[in-house]
Amino acid sequence: MPNLYSETTATGMHLTVRHLTRYVYNGQALESFNDLRLKPVSDPLQRCAAYSLRVQPEAPIKTHYDFYQNRVDHFELHVPHDSLEIESFVEVATRLDTRGTAPIGLSLPALDDRSVEENYFDFVVESKFVPQNVAIWREAVDVLGGPVTDLWADAVKLGRHVFQTFTYDPDWTHVHTDALTAIKDRRGVCQDYAHVMIAFCRSQGIPARYVSGYFYNGKTGDENEASHAWMEVFLPHYGWKAWDPTHDREADIRYIKLANGRDYGDIRPVSGRFKGKSTQRMEVIVQIRKVS
Amino acid sequence: MSTNAREEVARHKQANVMLSRVAGSLYWMSRYLERAENQARLIDVNLQILLDFGHVGAETLKAHWLPVLRSSGDEEQFFKLYETADNESATDFLTFRLENPNSLISCISNARENARQVRDQISSEMWEVLNDAYHFIQGADAKKIWNEGASAFYDQIKRYSHLFQGITVSTFSRVEGFEFIQFGKYLERADQITRLLDIKYHILLPKASDVGGAVDTAQWHAVLRSASAVEAYRRYYVADILFKKVVEFLLFDESFPRSLKFCCVQMEDFIELITDTSVESSISTEPRKRFEAFLSRLSKVTVDELFNSGMHQFLDTAQVEIAAIGAHLYTNFMYHPPVDIQAEIRFQQQQEQQQQ
Amino acid sequence: MLFDNYQTEDFFDEMFTADGTPRPHYQGVSDALNGVNAKEFCDKQNAVENAFMRGGVTFTVYNDSQGTERIFPFDCVPRVISAEEWDVVEKGLIQRLTALNMFLHDIYHEQKILKDRVIPPQYVLSAKHFRREFMNCSVPKDIYAHICGTDLIRDRDGNYLVLEDNLRCPSGASYMLENRNALKRTFPELFQASGVHPINEYAAKLLKVLQYCAPVKFAGDGAPNAVLLTPGVFNSAYFEHAFLARQMGVPIVEGRDLVVRDFKVFMRTTAGLVKVDVIYRRIDDDFLDPSVFRDDSLLGVPGLVNAYRAGNVSIANSIGTGVADDKVVYYFVPKMIKYYLGEDPILPNVDTYLASEPSDCSHILANLDKLVVKSANEAGGYGMLMGPWASKAEIEEFRKMIEENPRNFIGQNPISLSRHPTWTGDQFEGRHIDLRPYILYGEKIVVTPGGLTRVALRKGSLVVNSSQGGGSKDTWVLKQ
Repeated sequence: MPNLYSETTATGMHLTVRHLTRYVYNGQALESFNDLRLKPVSDPLQRCAAYSLRVQPEAPIKTHYDFYQNRVDHFELHVPHDSLEIESFVEVATRLDTRGTAPIGLSLPALDDRSVEENYFDFVVESKFVPQNVAIWREAVDVLGGPVTDLWADAVKLGRHVFQTFTYDPDWTHVHTDALTAIKDRRGVCQDYAHVMIAFCRSQGIPARYVSGYFYNGKTGDENEASHAWMEVFLPHYGWKAWDPTHDREADIRYIKLANGRDYGDIRPVSGRFKGKSTQRMEVIVQIRKVS
Repeated sequence: MSTNAREEVARHKQANVMLSRVAGSLYWMSRYLERAENQARLIDVNLQILLDFGHVGAETLKAHWLPVLRSSGDEEQFFKLYETADNESATDFLTFRLENPNSLISCISNARENARQVRDQISSEMWEVLNDAYHFIQGADAKKIWNEGASAFYDQIKRYSHLFQGITVSTFSRVEGFEFIQFGKYLERADQITRLLDIKYHILLPKASDVGGAVDTAQWHAVLRSASAVEAYRRYYVADILFKKVVEFLLFDESFPRSLKFCCVQMEDFIELITDTSVESSISTEPRKRFEAFLSRLSKVTVDELFNSGMHQFLDTAQVEIAAIGAHLYTNFMYHPPVDIQAEIRFQQQQEQQQQ
Repeated sequence: MLFDNYQTEDFFDEMFTADGTPRPHYQGVSDALNGVNAKEFCDKQNAVENAFMRGGVTFTVYNDSQGTERIFPFDCVPRVISAEEWDVVEKGLIQRLTALNMFLHDIYHEQKILKDRVIPPQYVLSAKHFRREFMNCSVPKDIYAHICGTDLIRDRDGNYLVLEDNLRCPSGASYMLENRNALKRTFPELFQASGVHPINEYAAKLLKVLQYCAPVKFAGDGAPNAVLLTPGVFNSAYFEHAFLARQMGVPIVEGRDLVVRDFKVFMRTTAGLVKVDVIYRRIDDDFLDPSVFRDDSLLGVPGLVNAYRAGNVSIANSIGTGVADDKVVYYFVPKMIKYYLGEDPILPNVDTYLASEPSDCSHILANLDKLVVKSANEAGGYGMLMGPWASKAEIEEFRKMIEENPRNFIGQNPISLSRHPTWTGDQFEGRHIDLRPYILYGEKIVVTPGGLTRVALRKGSLVVNSSQGGGSKDTWVLKQ
């Protein structure tokens, strides 16, 4: 994949994403309430140039911003329907991180700074998908061989440990699997990799949060085009820095970020509930294209 | 009107909106108790018929009870629980088995459960009767009934129902809720009378030669008793009990409060009152027209025509029409989720729609 | 004379001074009761209990399929508060609720109090009832806690102290009202002589509060439609819900009676869908909206939170008020008052230690046999260790829980609650009491002159909760 190399060294990419979710129900669904977190964030590393949403059956959409400032598009469907389609189109310009490499030698006391504390309070404690226990703490201590001496380098060590000890297996876990369950079998998908790495980091006092988004892999077929998840570490006076434990590398200009939160539970791209029997089938199509 | 008075009126109006759920609970409370009363009569009368016959064999017993079990559609459930249909098993099933949704105990529990949901909307006297009835049947069992006399037991059930109706009339305000209680009662009663006749006519009357015989007369007498109609019938037809007359009386009499016609006319009156309050223009008028058509047919048709065209078909039609108008009112005015929480969970299965 | 053998012992007695003379504001009650003999008093007491049972002034006992109903035990001797005392209590409560409401607004918006480090942010962010979902959402008139029941106690010197704030769905107001009715019927002559503030306008005032907080987008020409949302007939406080709904003249609804359409809330009635503008909810946040909070809730209304967010419906109390009655946050209320109002608190807290502060924690752990330990989010007298009366095993159990999760515990010096003469069946004895006044926040903050005085009926007991052997008394605030 020679072309990929050149892309990662470029100063930015221009990408479009089409993300379609289709539910087909057993019988009819009604009283359906849905929250979407499908609009890419705009920040120094990416700019969302266009965003549009299509919902079928049609419904008015209301927007608000959640606790972590992620955009939430909400709609309700009261009429009986036998299927539901949610489709988003986005255009994003990603940019190279100009902050330079991560600061070296930041240790835990650096976090003890009132001017930055509020950035990470929620990201050093337990959350729904990232519980804590002694085993997690122990394993993290063993990996580091001592207390945290460098926030970023140690986080990366923990991430590498996850990458090395886990087997990627799309059929092993499901969306409700939390870090404790995932670590038992050491198999799973990007969501599990991210949750476990976050759990390790937090157990050592390193602020870590969960990121959802897309990843452009240069392929155009069905293969490996899907939504993705990774994580970020908070570094005082630098900001949040992203690491992808599934691919064992920093997130770069091929990554599009949708939302961030404590864990998957805070930022499910599509979530909702309805009255009815059950979902017969769910289809997801994600197409990521490079605009030349 | 002063501002205060207007506010008072607005408040009164608002406080008196009737929640669909409450309407539904009142309706079912009333229906279930009426059903219990009819069931109690049916069981009692059938037990008595068998006494009249003296000793009967197993086959006769089975032939006797099967139609009764079939009429409420619970035959299959019955044979899951018992091997044969005899007095004891049938009584037990129709009275005490919670597996049977139409057993006395099921009906009375459901009536009480619905009343409990609207406890603060009915008089405490109404609640107390249902509560007493519930504890009465909870405290009884089949053995006790056999030992202490079945009739007394079933009489007591009937008495609870009558007491409840009397108390309702004398303690419940003539507001919308009353209309739902009455509508439910007459609907259930109309439905029950068709089922009662169907048992007798369709199933107990297999051979033409039996018609008019001693057994036949005794059975029609029993049907009248099942409908608490013996005295009323006698007042009209001094002569013997003739099956045509019995059918005519139970279907078309205009003044007997348990006849099909009487019940349907009452239903129509309460439907009128209930639909009057609605502001929804989207409610279809079709079902009401259909029920009115059925009512006018009830007025025109004669008992001879019925026998020629098929009694069972007519009773079937009646049941369908009654159910249809019931469903119409139910869907448009009452909202009732199942009382059973498990059923609620199954129904609502709030399954998550999500993806990674 | 019924009070001849009465002993105040080593406690602050509400009615008598240490030498056994009645306090001036109790003179009327004392005279009247001295004119009654034991038999007459018993009769009156029984009459009241029968009236409660008949009137259905009851609560339902949990886990009882028969739906057993019990009356909340009632003691006929009224608790009397003098005008001067009440003046302080009233000012103190208004001050406290003002500050608490500002706090709620602040933490769901700018979070200044956290940024200024008056309260360590992790305490608020880790509070069980802090609702992230509700950040940056404006509520009508900026009022979060429309109805507040604050528990007050008096120490050995008779000082009023705040024991806890209840800002979610405080209950008991119906008992306050029914107690008054009962006592009026039993001792009519007592009232005429004493000059007692009436409380019967509570429901009307509550309705005014609900209507005052009509949603921003309310545009009807009459009064907004208010409803009371109850969990249902199986809830132990259903009597209160039905009582208050009737008194206010508003419908009592369950979650399944309500439906959200196009971000507006309606109730299903026999006349079709009727719009609902204000919801006085008596179910917890967790169960309010299964599409936002607990998704297994069958009690709530899917879509309610978004309708609220859209400004089409008001909810009282607002969502997320529970963070203010977290017992760790309670510790900071005096600081809040200082921070937001620049005033000293009129009603002090009970001295409290936070297990999450290392120095306090070691103090708590070293003194478990002397302190009262409470978990941060329990109510109703549960999750509590009464050190001086606890067994070794209970103490060790709490030690373990505190060490595992210090954030969840506080320690307090036990307060020797004031006592009040209470009928024990044949004579009067002192029993410990507290006081829950009801504060309504609408156009202005109003404290109902009275409240629910709860009494620990068991001799020596300090637990006044109805679920654990508590009863109640009528509470009089004198006009002069």
